[in-house]
Amino acid sequence: MNSGSKRLTRKLLAHAFLILFIMMIMTPFLTVIASSFSRGNFAPSKLIPTEISLNHWKYVLGIPYDEVVNVTTGETRTLKADVVPIRWFWNSIKISIIASGGILLLSGTCAYAFARMKFAFKNQTMTGLLILQMFPMVLALVAFYTILEFIGQFAPRMGLNTHAGLTLIYLGGVSIYIWMIKGYFETISTSIEESARIDGASPFQAFILILLPMSAPIFAVVFILSFISYMSEYPVASVVLQTGDQWTLAVGANSFLYEQQKLWGRFSALAVLSGIPITVLFIICQRFLVSGLTAGGVKE
Amino acid sequence: MAEHNGKVVINKLEKTYLDGKGKPAFTAVKGIDLIIEDGEFMVLVGPSGCGKSTTLRMVAGLEDISEGTISIGDTVVNKLEPKDRGIAMVFQNYALYPHLSVFTNMAFSLQLSKVPKAEIKKRVDIAAEILGLSDMLERKPKALSGGQRQRVAVGRAIVRNPKVFLFDEPLSNLDAKMRVQMRTEISNLHERLGTTILYVTHDQVEAMTMGDRICVMNAGEIMQVADPLTLYKHPENMFVASFIGSPPMNLIHGKLKLDNDQAYFIENEGDTHPLGTIKLKGPSAQKAKEIGSRPVVLGIRPEHLYERSQHENEAEFTAPVSLAEPMGAETLLHMDMANHRLIGRIQNDRLFKRREEVTLYLHLDKCSFFDPTTEQVL
Repeated sequence: MNSGSKRLTRKLLAHAFLILFIMMIMTPFLTVIASSFSRGNFAPSKLIPTEISLNHWKYVLGIPYDEVVNVTTGETRTLKADVVPIRWFWNSIKISIIASGGILLLSGTCAYAFARMKFAFKNQTMTGLLILQMFPMVLALVAFYTILEFIGQFAPRMGLNTHAGLTLIYLGGVSIYIWMIKGYFETISTSIEESARIDGASPFQAFILILLPMSAPIFAVVFILSFISYMSEYPVASVVLQTGDQWTLAVGANSFLYEQQKLWGRFSALAVLSGIPITVLFIICQRFLVSGLTAGGVKE
Repeated sequence: MAEHNGKVVINKLEKTYLDGKGKPAFTAVKGIDLIIEDGEFMVLVGPSGCGKSTTLRMVAGLEDISEGTISIGDTVVNKLEPKDRGIAMVFQNYALYPHLSVFTNMAFSLQLSKVPKAEIKKRVDIAAEILGLSDMLERKPKALSGGQRQRVAVGRAIVRNPKVFLFDEPLSNLDAKMRVQMRTEISNLHERLGTTILYVTHDQVEAMTMGDRICVMNAGEIMQVADPLTLYKHPENMFVASFIGSPPMNLIHGKLKLDNDQAYFIENEGDTHPLGTIKLKGPSAQKAKEIGSRPVVLGIRPEHLYERSQHENEAEFTAPVSLAEPMGAETLLHMDMANHRLIGRIQNDRLFKRREEVTLYLHLDKCSFFDPTTEQVL
């Protein structure tokens, strides 16, 4: 075999592997899309449904549609959900955006303190945060429930079954982001802030006017990551939110999966829907996710 | 521009770093006294860790002062914020704001202190004009070369119209050619603005070429403060003698002996090629008589060794060359002597071979004597 054909073989093998790999990744995704457009609430067996139906999408979006209830007589009934699933979608977006914004605010300021300030027990606190973060949120579920119940006695709008209450709990997931942002801050030379200080900036001004704009990439990453995690968070939301009108997407989607009947079609439509805001967010944040934002400021 | 008093008085300044438990761990600056006159270009020079940058940062207000006082103008500034001290600082790594344009970088301090826009524009334009940055005011720092970035950093300092400029090794990140150019530019700037400059560097060439006076520091203490030539010709101690000058002053350990109205320098015994006993003549003999018989270190600059006899008071010796470095106009001859390596800067346009025996003449009038224990000049 000469070297030319050897290279060709290698290329073909590499491409075959890549195509196989892409198929492995794409199949579940396409299955879900196919399922959302299929007739009937079954787990789909084909990537391209034999009969395209928009019923699941109509159900999810709250558009009334006719469903055949008796195949022999052809009897139909008009169907519309009591709580329109699109509402869960808006709930999710609202909670995720507010919680992620809050996370940015908290973790950004905390990280600044950890990266730049001197105070007692700094290292112990940092390690403590990291260790606490290792326990999944679910473990404290019962505590969250009690706490929110307690808060609810005084401020009903922040108690159980409220979005404010859930957001409050979500803000507790801040420590991993503190670590991320702190790591980024530490790559920025302190002399830039010292320079700002000499120029007459207060520590707060140096933070807002100098450090924050330079840190846009890490803030974009943190926002995206926390947004995604809150869009898909189930255990805590399922316990805190009790009535259908308050549910988030994950809780609502799960409600389609009864023990007796799993409504895969509706579930899939909802799943596809949940992907949209994440995609949009990515497109918006992409322009912040550029490297070289801190380039040129200092020479290492 | 320098209508205000930029005299800096450093009085018994001390910096002690504390360990985790709040106990003194390390003293970086050990009670130094230094007066920098208004309009003077003072260079702080010394090896890494000698406390020069710490001193500068204390003047800037970026480090707390442990003991002593610093005053700028007639005000003690120990407790003042950096912005209220009337200083501007240029950092080694430029420390520009990468997300802001050159104009905004330079205007930042004025914007913070709410100077009217027209005034800001005027002052930035003047500074940009001085530094040749007028065409790049809209650019971001990353679109500039190293030298241009450093110029922006200098411009940012100029627009503040400070009483004192502080430079923290501003040229060490530039390439050799740019460094020479910026050196001249900063000197010109000082000439033009007449503002006090406190300039930290570890590069003795920068120190010698730029400073009105130079303050040599070592291990947190001031070794000598003098103008460049005094520092070079009359070092007060062995540290300054070996730190200033490249190659450094040769330091030869030995003792002085007075005998029958004659003075001799006898080198300490060693393995090879002894300089041996040198009969001192002229001013050096006079000096030796003042000092008396005792152990000394003889200091002689490399350029005061000659291949041909050309002065009255000389000592002749022969040694093999262990390394010859032709520099073009001159040749550096390294000779391994009894206890040390002797370096001669020889004006000669012939090539020397290794192990070649050369006869050199040592100009005795240029010798200095140091005390080997205190390392101070005698």
